[in-house]
Parts: sequence; C-alpha cells; structure tokens
Amino acid sequence: MMQPVTPMWAFIQATVARATGQQCRRFLSSAARQQTRRPTPPCTATTRPYQPLVQRRFKFKTVEEAKSRYRSGPFSWKSGVLFVLTGAGLLYYFEQEKERMQRKRVAEAAKGVGRPKVGGPFELIDQDGKPFSDKDLKGKYSLVYFGFSHCPDICPEELDKMAKMFDLVQTERPGALLPVFVTCDPARDDPKVLKEYLSEFHPSFIGLTGTYDQIKAMCKEYRVYFSTPTEVKPGQDYLVDHSIYFYLMDPEGDFVEALGRQHSPEQAAKVILDHMKDWTGQIKTA
Amino acid sequence: MGILGLFTSTSEEEKRASEIRKGTVAPTRAERQRCWESRDLYFACLDKHDIIDALKEDKKASKECKAESTKFEENCAEKWVTYFKQWRVQDIQKRRRLAELEAQGGIKLDVNTQFTEKK
Repeated sequence: MMQPVTPMWAFIQATVARATGQQCRRFLSSAARQQTRRPTPPCTATTRPYQPLVQRRFKFKTVEEAKSRYRSGPFSWKSGVLFVLTGAGLLYYFEQEKERMQRKRVAEAAKGVGRPKVGGPFELIDQDGKPFSDKDLKGKYSLVYFGFSHCPDICPEELDKMAKMFDLVQTERPGALLPVFVTCDPARDDPKVLKEYLSEFHPSFIGLTGTYDQIKAMCKEYRVYFSTPTEVKPGQDYLVDHSIYFYLMDPEGDFVEALGRQHSPEQAAKVILDHMKDWTGQIKTA
Repeated sequence: MGILGLFTSTSEEEKRASEIRKGTVAPTRAERQRCWESRDLYFACLDKHDIIDALKEDKKASKECKAESTKFEENCAEKWVTYFKQWRVQDIQKRRRLAELEAQGGIKLDVNTQFTEKK
C-alpha cells in the first residue's frame, strides 16, 4: 500500500517546488523592473495619517442604506420628479411656441407684400347715418361680416354666433374688437333697416351701408362674392347670394384670418384672442 | 285670417304679415323663428311622404301636406319658401353623397350644414 503513495508524494513536492520557483522568479523580475522606474519620494508615516478601511464614497450611516442606494443607482424620487417636471415644462413650452408660430404664419401669410390682399379703404355710412370709413377701424381688431337683412337662414345664425364670440372676446379684452356688419343689399338695407335688424343681435354691432357702387367696391376689396339678381322690379323680393366668412382684421387694417361656419363661437373667440395676444403693438380699447 | 284675410283685413298684424310675404320688410327675430318652425313642420311632412323636391312634386306635396304648406307660406316670405325648398333638395343630395363617400372610407371633416345647433 505504501508503494504507490511515494511517487505521488514526490510528484506533488516537485510541482510545489516548481511553482514556488516560478513565483520567485516572477517576484525577482518585477522587483528588477521596479528599479528602472522613476524614483518617487519616500513615503513616511508622518505625511500619511492613519486612514480607516471604510468606504467613504457615500455618506451613509448603515450598510443597508448604502446597499439600497447602490441598488437604485443615481435615481431617487426627487430626481424622478425633477426629470418629469422639466420634461413637461419643455413640452408645454414647445407646444406653445409651435402654436404661436402657426398663428404668426397665418397672419403673415395673409399680410402679403405691399398692398394688402384683403381689405382696404372705404367710405360708407353706419346705422345712424354717420359716415364711417376704414380709418374708424384702425387701432382695434375688427370682425367684418357681410350679409343682408332679408337673409333667410345663414346670416341670422351667423350674426347670433358673431354676438356670442364678440361677448366672449369682450369679457377678456373689453373694447379691443369692433363687430362690423356690411350689407350686400344697399337698395333695401338703409341705415334705419340696419339699425332695427342689428339691434336684435347685439347693441354694439356696427351696421354699414352706402350706395350700390360703394358696397360693390367694399366687397371687391374684401374679396366678397355677392350677386344681386338683375332686373329686379321695384318692390319685388329677391335674395342676395354672398360669401359667409367673418374677416378678422388687425389694428392696422390688414387681414388676419377668415372664420367660417366650421368654427364654434368658442373656437372663434379663442382664435381672435390668440391673435390679440400675439399683437405687439397697441390696441385701442376706448 | 288665412289667405283671404290678406285681402280683406286691414289690421296692422295682417299688413305686416303680408309685407313679410312680399319681402318689402325684413322679418324680426320672432317672425323669422315662426317661419323656421313652420318650415320644419312642412319638411317633416315631406319626409313622411317621401317627397324630396317640393317644387317638382308640387301636386303631391300640396295634396299630402296641405295644412303645413299653407302655414309655411303664410309665415315666410315667398322668396324664402322657394329658397328653402331648393335648399332641401341640395341638402338631401349632399347628405346622400356624404353617406356614399363615408361608405367608401372617406374622412369626414367638421362642417356644419344644420340650421339648428347640434344638441
């Protein structure tokens, strides 16, 4: 039984000796390499005070605290909230900016170069028979609508809508908007008729009329299509075909945007108020 | 009252109603409302009897919806009566076309063609 053990033992001894020999050599070689390095000032005990073997990277009282911190990494509820808030803030800002730019583009696109594309000078009379011109619109936003008192369905509905949006704008920006109604039927809509007609919609509405040629010129400037049937005998009833848009004009008398049947009074009022917000100049309120 | 009253009565009310019918004066809000109500009743009757164009199917319309037609013509200007009848044909055609397009997978845009606000 002893015989097989002896060679085994010898083998182990030999391996260990070889291993230590290698270790020795390695130690010697690394020690030799060390000598070629740049000399460093000798460290003395006086310059290096005793440092306890405690990890000082985080200031935690307990190991558990440190462990939990390690598990969650640099994320805490505070940083989370901060991240979400910043994100939401930026998103809100960009959305606002986008909308503003969109509105600006609409307003700018409508301005045109040189002569405005829609709107222009006019000389008409209001429902009290007083002269009223484009100069009376300057300094305020104005909402211009074309229609006629004998209109069967659309104009009365749209005028009710105009009254609603005017009131909505009025609550936020009193006196900043002029609601203007221009008749396309000057033959029948004299100041008296207009006064009676408009008083049922809103006391602040301004009704404009004039001669056929004056109205025709006004409609042409505002790019309003209207057609009075030809060959109407005096006293004969007729309907006038006309465009049904509200024209929003800025304080300088330039066209801003057309509001149509698809806008609810609330939507329209919002569009108007937003444009007013964007206006950098003065808006007269008296 | 009625059509005969138009010629015999000289009362203010009748005079006014006749002026509205002829289109010499513009109706007030209340008068317009009355006209629209009688129009809606008349159209409801036409719907019931499957009449689309009351101008073309004049005989059938006046036979089936006599009472409603009389009221309609009494409360509205003559021009308005014709206009509303034409509008009805166009509106029905428009609705049909829209339904057709929708069946084909068209995208509906938000456009209001109703007289009354949607409730």
